[in-house]
Amino acid sequence: MSPGEIHGLIGENGAGKTTLARILGGLAAPDSGKVRIGGRAVELSGARQARALGVAMVHQHFSLVPSFTGLENIALLDPGAWNRRGAAARGYRERVEARARELRLAVELDQPVGGLGVGARQRIEVLKALMPDPRVLLLDEPTAVLAPQEVDGLLAVLRRVADAGGAVVLVAHKLDEVLAVATRVTVLRRGRRVLTTEVASTSAPQLAEAMVGSKVAGPATSSRWRGAPLEATPVARLAGVHARRDGRQALRGVALEVRRGEIVGIAGVDGNGQRTLAAVLAGVQRPDEGEAELPPEVGWIPQDRTEEGLVGGFTITENVALALHGRSALRSGPWLDWRGVGEAALGVMREMEVQAEGAEMAAGALSGGNQQRVVVGREFLRSGSFLVAESPTRGLDVKAAAAVRARIRELAAGGDEAPGIVLISTDLDEVLELADRTLVLVRGRLVEMAPGDRTHRAIGRAMLGADRAGGDDW
Amino acid sequence: MLTRKALRSTIAAAALLATAACGSDNTDRSSSNSADAPSVALLTSGPVSDAGWHAGAYEGLQLIRDSLRFRVSHQQTRTPAEFDEAFISYAQAGYGLIFGHGFEYQDAATRVGPQFPNVTFVVSSGSRPGPNVVPLVFHLNEASYLAGMAAGAVTQSGIVGMVGGVEIPAAKGTFIAFEAGVKAVRSDAKLLETHTGDWYDVSAAKEATAAQLRQGADILIHNLDAASFGFFQAVREARKAGGDAWALGMNLDQNDVAPDVIVASAMIDLPAVFLSTAEAWEKGTLRGVARYAGLRAGVVDFVPNPAQEGVIPLDALERIDSAREAIIAGTLEVPRIEFVEEEAAADG
Amino acid sequence: MRRSPEIVRGLLVAVVGLAVTAVVAAALLALGGHSPGATFAALIAGAFGSWDRFVSFTLVRATPLLFTGLAVALAFRAHVWNIGAEGQLYAGALAGVAVALLLPTSAPLLLLPITLVAAAAAGALWAAGPAAMRTRFGVGEVITTLLLNFVALFLAQFLVQGPLQEPRRIFNQTDSIPEAAHLPALLPGTRLHVGFALAVAVALALWLYLARTPGGLRLRTVGASPRAARVSGRFRATPVVWAAFLTSGAIAGLAGWVQIAGVTHRMYEGLSPGWGYTAIAVALLARLNPLAVVVTAIVFGALSAGGGAMQRDAGVPEAWVRGIEALVILAVLATDRCWQLLAARGEGG
Repeated sequence: MSPGEIHGLIGENGAGKTTLARILGGLAAPDSGKVRIGGRAVELSGARQARALGVAMVHQHFSLVPSFTGLENIALLDPGAWNRRGAAARGYRERVEARARELRLAVELDQPVGGLGVGARQRIEVLKALMPDPRVLLLDEPTAVLAPQEVDGLLAVLRRVADAGGAVVLVAHKLDEVLAVATRVTVLRRGRRVLTTEVASTSAPQLAEAMVGSKVAGPATSSRWRGAPLEATPVARLAGVHARRDGRQALRGVALEVRRGEIVGIAGVDGNGQRTLAAVLAGVQRPDEGEAELPPEVGWIPQDRTEEGLVGGFTITENVALALHGRSALRSGPWLDWRGVGEAALGVMREMEVQAEGAEMAAGALSGGNQQRVVVGREFLRSGSFLVAESPTRGLDVKAAAAVRARIRELAAGGDEAPGIVLISTDLDEVLELADRTLVLVRGRLVEMAPGDRTHRAIGRAMLGADRAGGDDW
Repeated sequence: MLTRKALRSTIAAAALLATAACGSDNTDRSSSNSADAPSVALLTSGPVSDAGWHAGAYEGLQLIRDSLRFRVSHQQTRTPAEFDEAFISYAQAGYGLIFGHGFEYQDAATRVGPQFPNVTFVVSSGSRPGPNVVPLVFHLNEASYLAGMAAGAVTQSGIVGMVGGVEIPAAKGTFIAFEAGVKAVRSDAKLLETHTGDWYDVSAAKEATAAQLRQGADILIHNLDAASFGFFQAVREARKAGGDAWALGMNLDQNDVAPDVIVASAMIDLPAVFLSTAEAWEKGTLRGVARYAGLRAGVVDFVPNPAQEGVIPLDALERIDSAREAIIAGTLEVPRIEFVEEEAAADG
Repeated sequence: MRRSPEIVRGLLVAVVGLAVTAVVAAALLALGGHSPGATFAALIAGAFGSWDRFVSFTLVRATPLLFTGLAVALAFRAHVWNIGAEGQLYAGALAGVAVALLLPTSAPLLLLPITLVAAAAAGALWAAGPAAMRTRFGVGEVITTLLLNFVALFLAQFLVQGPLQEPRRIFNQTDSIPEAAHLPALLPGTRLHVGFALAVAVALALWLYLARTPGGLRLRTVGASPRAARVSGRFRATPVVWAAFLTSGAIAGLAGWVQIAGVTHRMYEGLSPGWGYTAIAVALLARLNPLAVVVTAIVFGALSAGGGAMQRDAGVPEAWVRGIEALVILAVLATDRCWQLLAARGEGG
């Protein structure tokens, strides 16, 4: 790595990207080998020391304190924020604002970050990492949850950091982002470096092959895979739904009808009511106003697999039981039929090709991709008539994401028995690839896109139409 | 040197812990007297460092050890569940006389007693005698009656105060007798009675005492533990402010505790009671009936403070002396609260 | 649901902790002029010296700790921080005594079950207030359950000096409960009463409930992640939280009454030396596993039985005994923590 370089680190889930980033960030110690910073071999014993040596890290899972404001979170780990007696240094806020302007980062400094959207939280996370003016900035899969325009904004910020002489390590799973911004790229596979090359002298197919080890077909773009006519009666129906989340109005008059066999894509920038819409569609939250007609059982792949989709301390079997424990077929007397649940869990693992040491392995010990496979497979078990998928490929590698998408597609193609599917995603490519029709969720309102407007540009504009934080400043 | 010694002990202990044989009885470790000497044990439900009820019993135990050369042991118990266990353990270990210092030990003694007919269980303030269970009843009320007579003679306002801690029967009994003593000398006297609810709360005691002083009380008695300091302090301050108030000591001979304000104390000599009980046990005269410790046994008494001679009029002291004789002779009965259920008692 | 290695581990940790404490305590005892050898010999002989000692002393002392430990373990499993086992114990004790004394029946088959139900109900009722405060108003149960401990203590004082005082109204205790309300001996000739078997049965039932039933799965889920309960489990956490509060309170309530029905046969002011608080250490040390609580409760029972012997046979003052007990608890908890760290490192590497 040299100053001014943006280095892309790519690889499948479990390839070792995060581990490598953690070693550089001082959060994990290498079993052997050395880390050199500024030409000197250093032993990083913790994140604090790594920061002192000029390595800043933006985590895949945010490390912000939800009840603190943006400014407080930024100040928390920045030695420059405090004077010698431990009090807040004068003019710190002005310095933060100046830095944000310089990088053209639109940040909300005075709201508790817990109430902000993912994108807004990530901007704070990035600014927090950049405040001490680090020599190396590490970002672990930063684009997983962002809208296309937000991704562009982030990449622009990274470019500005590099132009100012900083080195950037970008851990990513999306090839096009790496190709768009990085100067050099390293591909990891199963813990080994398989390729390091100048971006200028490589191509997406070459990198993808290096990552996966075999050729991957590009995404099927606009081809229709299903021609069966739709039933007349919707399997799920929302009409004039208003709903609140944490006291704030999140949905404003949402209407939606989903029929068996169709995939309804809902695009939008994170924080525009997606979470509430999913909760209402899953039957977990009752609308304050309006009607929601839903089937008795709904599959729901939640956005946050570690906090909501799974219990990390539970085994895979127990996590499957969590979804199925209400079924009388899986009970004998007062007892849960653990054998039956175990078989269901093994079925999920087989179906979704989950890499694990068995169904009794703790879900928290699985890699992110395998965790998501468990969640998806389990929710398919409840998707007899209706499935809500919230960013189902978030944080997954190319192969895993393709597999999940293929499964969703297969599910929708199941003829008369196929469920209706609502795909809520901030990944516009995914929506365009999978959905039969596309709606955009903006500030709690659903806008249906005309079939001719299903393009990146048009949808992107609709997504940001009411986003005040939008524009060039990201 | 210390550390080396500690280290050696530590190693020894660790080795012992590793090899400790089950079933061994280690009973004679705490005693300085020979192993075949008679053995006496004491159970208290509070710390023996309280300078009062428990400390008195512990002093008694030490007196037994030093005077009679008996083997002794003590255990502080925390809950009623431990009482049976402690009695059984001591009985099994060969202790022939076991004191349970408080009424709370009565049930356990009654339960365990029949299992160990050769062991004598003594229960302070107990209520139910058995063949080998002996309630020990303290007639502090007799001394308290005499203190009441002194108060009746000293008071000029005719208002006499009583400041108590927790309203338990033993304490209540002393106040009933005190009141009778006051009335015997001065039938028109008015008595004030306050209970702070705490044996150890000094400031609450002081406040309660000051309140009674404001109501005109000019001689006061207490039944407090460590809180008596506040009681005496309140009286001292009233005297400094020009009042003519006096205090009476209780439970122990407190004349030295506050010689400037105390005119006399109603006291009980707990160590003496324990010693005489152990002597009776050794002689075989400690039978399965309640044992009373009062004026007659010489372990309860009314003691004027020599530093305040003359405050109690001479003729009053003479009346008190004749009352003492009458109580010992059995011709004067002092009011009391009867603990013992069966009326079969021997006098200590 | 592979739980048995945890029990083995808990036992091992307890043993290692005891050894560590032995060394530290021996040094302190030697400095204080007490013989460490005699002290430890007394400790062990007092707790395990003979079958009768183990059964009549250690297991009897372990019984209330087992009930309260289970109560705490169950609540903590659901992330219900019930610090109020002490108060619930007193509530159960008072209810059991009141029913036993006031109910005009002397049929053991009738009176004993009724008193047990009354005690459990009272314990649950004592936990219901904090449950409502938390689920309705979001008031943290650490404070509410703790404060109710003091209320229960004062209530016990009041009743024992007032309405429930023994008929002669001399001593601050209730009348003896009728024999029909006594818990029979579990092993004839020993002091061990049926209450111990009841406690072990409760432990087994809780374990089965947590490991094998849908309700147990829901409770564990709420403890691990209320959001996962809502999103993946599709159930509301509130009823589960209520169930955890009430069941925990009921079990703690049994602790108090079983102690009276099995050992003391009447109610005193100072019935518990703080079992409801020690229970927290008992439960945490057992890693909140009901079967492991049986083991840790017996370890604590042995410690307290041995503590008595340390006073009697080695002449160690009670303050020292308490200090050594505290040392053991600290050492065992520290050992457990070290184990966790080691295990975590092992997994990481």
